[in-house]
Amino acid sequence: MSQKTPRTILSSLLAAALACATALSPVAASAGDKLTYFTWSGYELPEFDATYLKAHADGVDTSTFGDDDDAFTKVKAGFRPDLAHPCYDKVARWSREGLIEPIETSRIKNWDKIFPVFRDLPDLQAGPGKVWMVPWDWGNTSILYRTDLVKDPEASWNLLWDKAYSGRLATIDAVHDTPVVAALLTGVSPFDMTPAQIDIVAAKLREQRPLLSSYTTDMTSVEQALASGQLVAAMTWNASAVALKKQNVPVAFMKPKEGMLTWACGFVLLKGSPHADLAYDFINSRLEASSGQKLIEDYGYGASTTSAFDAVPKATLESLQLPADPNVALKTTIFTGPMKQADDLAKMFEKVKAGG
Amino acid sequence: MADLGTSGQPQRPGSAFRVALMLPGSVVTLGLILFALGLLAILAFRFNDGSLFGAGFTLGNFRILASEPLYGLVILRSLTIAGLVTAATVVTAYPVAYYLSFHARSRALILFLVTLPFWTSYLLRVFAWKIVLAYNGVLNSGLIAAGIWSEPSTALLNTPAAVVLTLAHAYAPFAILPILVSLDAIPRSLAEAAADLGATPFTVFRRVILPNSMPGVLAGAVVVFVPTVGDYVTPALVGGPSSTMIGSLIQAQFGKAQDWPFGAALALVVMLVILAVILLVRRADHRFGSRL
Repeated sequence: MSQKTPRTILSSLLAAALACATALSPVAASAGDKLTYFTWSGYELPEFDATYLKAHADGVDTSTFGDDDDAFTKVKAGFRPDLAHPCYDKVARWSREGLIEPIETSRIKNWDKIFPVFRDLPDLQAGPGKVWMVPWDWGNTSILYRTDLVKDPEASWNLLWDKAYSGRLATIDAVHDTPVVAALLTGVSPFDMTPAQIDIVAAKLREQRPLLSSYTTDMTSVEQALASGQLVAAMTWNASAVALKKQNVPVAFMKPKEGMLTWACGFVLLKGSPHADLAYDFINSRLEASSGQKLIEDYGYGASTTSAFDAVPKATLESLQLPADPNVALKTTIFTGPMKQADDLAKMFEKVKAGG
Repeated sequence: MADLGTSGQPQRPGSAFRVALMLPGSVVTLGLILFALGLLAILAFRFNDGSLFGAGFTLGNFRILASEPLYGLVILRSLTIAGLVTAATVVTAYPVAYYLSFHARSRALILFLVTLPFWTSYLLRVFAWKIVLAYNGVLNSGLIAAGIWSEPSTALLNTPAAVVLTLAHAYAPFAILPILVSLDAIPRSLAEAAADLGATPFTVFRRVILPNSMPGVLAGAVVVFVPTVGDYVTPALVGGPSSTMIGSLIQAQFGKAQDWPFGAALALVVMLVILAVILLVRRADHRFGSRL
């Protein structure tokens, strides 16, 4: 009796596993003809791909990452998607390593609708009529705080170093966010620093570590913790501010006097992709006004095209604190460009996080 | 394996079957484990030139490991957390295994319940603990409702204690099963004989049952200890900055920090440390163990 039961369970489990495997194999077989898209989590939603999905009903294979430094290493180690979605500060690195191939702007229908400020970014240029990355989204990084739990704070990144809120702060676990802010606060240029200056930034980060509840890129957890009041302030992107305001949580997205961080990201085509045509279709679909409009209205991020902004009502843009012209935003914010010492900073940041 | 090479011996019937049985294991051991270990060992002695596999030959990685106290500290922290997890797991698993072996009538049902958590993904179990320990979670709300706390505590989640709790729960069956097997192997007549000679039930347990089940306890402890030292998912999800374990540091070297050679050196050192700990435990068991 006691022997029979587990055995029966085991055999039925095996049967079930076999059935699953058989049922799934046609899916796995057809995956070869699909576009593979490697992107930030949250950016893989089919709502952004309405036109593409109409033309290609079998859809897109997506794989997500929480940080584009991790994504870079994964691709370098042999993962071969067709399209990836890094941010501008990493593009030079992807092209230098020979991971990506130029995209022909003549095949991008709405190329001219992209804001010139993004189109003309220096690291994008790959020769006449060619770019390394097609910009799709941009946004800000700042402090999202509970207005009822933090009364009238000074508009400064220093809130994330405030001992009064020890244990109730969180920050983003990415080199292009938290160390950049530490550099700004210590008066060091985030994009080019000497070893001595890296030490200064490290000291600033070390000061912050004991006050933090976590270093994370999991924005869902951060949003939940802010909503419950476990966290009073955290470094986030616009989307978290929009999400929490929609839930009527009393939060504000700070405009620090040192400047918010502004980033821009987009699509890169992986070298030797067998689905280049599908990739162009996908990029074209994402650059349509309706796709960008969804990005603005649902997440509060900026789209890269003027047409997407034109499709969004003025009142919505105002409530999202999103200027219709990115140049206006960039006047007061710090644009996250390539960081010369990215690797050294990454190593330093890992050490500080571990307590060193 | 030895039989494969000894051609002098007459072929025994069924040797083809034995070869077939050995084959998958040998392929996995040689092809995947030993090959990967060799790669790791080579990688650990190269320096990072920006490419994945590094270049040249250097002892620099180990020099950094030895000179910076951080790495020793994090390894020590990982060993402590894994040690606590192991202790908690074995201590709670033993009574369950004991009950299963000596008293349980519906053994199949209880064994089924013990393995039931494995039917869900590990990540789901971690998130379940997050729900229990969170600021407005089950435990905090319960304690407030009971009037023990007046406001929710942030001291439950994102702490090393949360990591220990989550891991101990996750690894419980790994300790229960080996202990159960060793308890089942004890002849019941031994306990009866001890009782006949006047031993109290507690003495029977201490002098007969426990010593004879020690191999199972040690096996369970090793099975729990080794994987938890290197765990990095759990501290990332329920531990705060003060519970960063060595697994997270190794993972970061292969991810964000992009220094595979250093990550390999770190992994190699951790393996050696674990090996040393296990050898020490075995030695201690041989010398001070209560087995006859």
